[in-house]
Amino acid sequence: MSVSEHPLRKYTRRHITRTTTCPGCGIGTVSQAILRAIDELGLDMDDFVFVSGIGCSAWIPSPFYAADTLHTTHGRPIAFATGVKLGLPDKNVMVVSGDGDLTAIGGNHLIHAARRNVDLTVVLVNNGIYGMTGGQTAPTTPRGLTTITSPYGTMEHHFDIAPMVAAAGASFVARWTTYHPRQMTRSIKKGIQKKGFALIEAVSQCPVQYGKASKLGSAVRILEYFKENSVRIDKARAMEAEALAGKIIVGEWVDIAKAELTQEWTELRRKLREESECHKLI
Amino acid sequence: MSKVNIFRQSCKGVDDCGICKFVCPQDLFQACQEMNAAGYFPPEIKDESQCTGCRNCMVYCPDFAIWVEKTDDQPAEEDEDKNAG
Ligand SMILES: Cc1ncc(C[n+]2csc(CCOP(=O)(O)OP(=O)(O)O)c2C)c(N)n1
Ligand code: SF4
Ligand code: SF4
Ligand code: SF4
Ligand SMILES: [Mg+2]
Repeated sequence: MSVSEHPLRKYTRRHITRTTTCPGCGIGTVSQAILRAIDELGLDMDDFVFVSGIGCSAWIPSPFYAADTLHTTHGRPIAFATGVKLGLPDKNVMVVSGDGDLTAIGGNHLIHAARRNVDLTVVLVNNGIYGMTGGQTAPTTPRGLTTITSPYGTMEHHFDIAPMVAAAGASFVARWTTYHPRQMTRSIKKGIQKKGFALIEAVSQCPVQYGKASKLGSAVRILEYFKENSVRIDKARAMEAEALAGKIIVGEWVDIAKAELTQEWTELRRKLREESECHKLI
Repeated sequence: MSKVNIFRQSCKGVDDCGICKFVCPQDLFQACQEMNAAGYFPPEIKDESQCTGCRNCMVYCPDFAIWVEKTDDQPAEEDEDKNAG
């Protein structure tokens, strides 16, 4: 027996027949990891609102996913998503966007949503560059890399996103690369189920822009790089800083339970309503 | 034996992408000779009887172009942590 279409296509809009990404782009692998997580959890797309910003990664849910999708302005998806979650607390609200979107122009929203512990699941696709606009240096670009905006190599240090968001107060934080799609799916499932701010950093290949800048070129060569240079967090904790230079630490940083903002608001509203009812009776 | 379904029209080409070929432990993928409607050469399977049903090609393909159906007597999907670095 052979099937006529990919079974995960039941979660995508019928009229969208292809993905928007370049050949070999890791964004599609992340997209599949998200849909597999939802499928394995047995959730309904109607229970989700997907919010994205601007960039190649922001095209993952919109227009592809057959769900409510909100494609917002550059850097602002977490701000929109916070509003959606507070207004519709029963929805699973997932933000999907890029490293430039969520850590450069949108960096403050990211750390403050983690600090406030709003119940969002953020899948941050980190390809180390501004892919969509032609390969400019991002806050995630490795030091020394030559890009079109750093012709002598970038002199800046890059953000280490997962531990930064962990330090900001998130309830769940993980990082995997597109060489680890199964682990990524598992962490996305945990992120969706977590009552609190959850970040899954998905280190991904941009063969076109990053491939050109790094001279790694093809998708397969970048995946080989991920394979050879990923170190699990438990192993990394026992390693010296020099040995970790150029390595990608993967795994789960945080998985905790703590007071969550939507819940606190709901509770406060209930309490105030009760109090005002009491006053009316007097 | 597993059935490896390739949705030719979704694929963006073994030459430009080729991720399925890279992650197949049995090295079963090769570019076919026939272009799809978008101008790419999707893969074909050299010998399906050699497929272990590991589903790597399916979970890594960025374009939803592969689905592997497994038979009951096959081992479970590849260990999650095997590639974890
Ligand atoms: C306010 C504003 N500033 C700048 C831009 C131009 N712009 C569009 S996408 C983008 C960067 C996207 O990078 P990233 O979030 O890493 O996404 P990628 O394309 O790499 O997935 C920029 C600077 C814009 N659209 N809006
Ligand atoms: S420019 Fe890079 S990130 Fe954007 S779709 Fe192409 S390969 Fe992917
Ligand atoms: S991984 Fe998918 S898109 Fe890439 S060549 Fe193979 S079938 Fe085509
Ligand atoms: S399921 Fe595994 S062995 Fe079979 S074709 Fe795909 S990658 Fe190769
Ligand atoms: Mg980027």
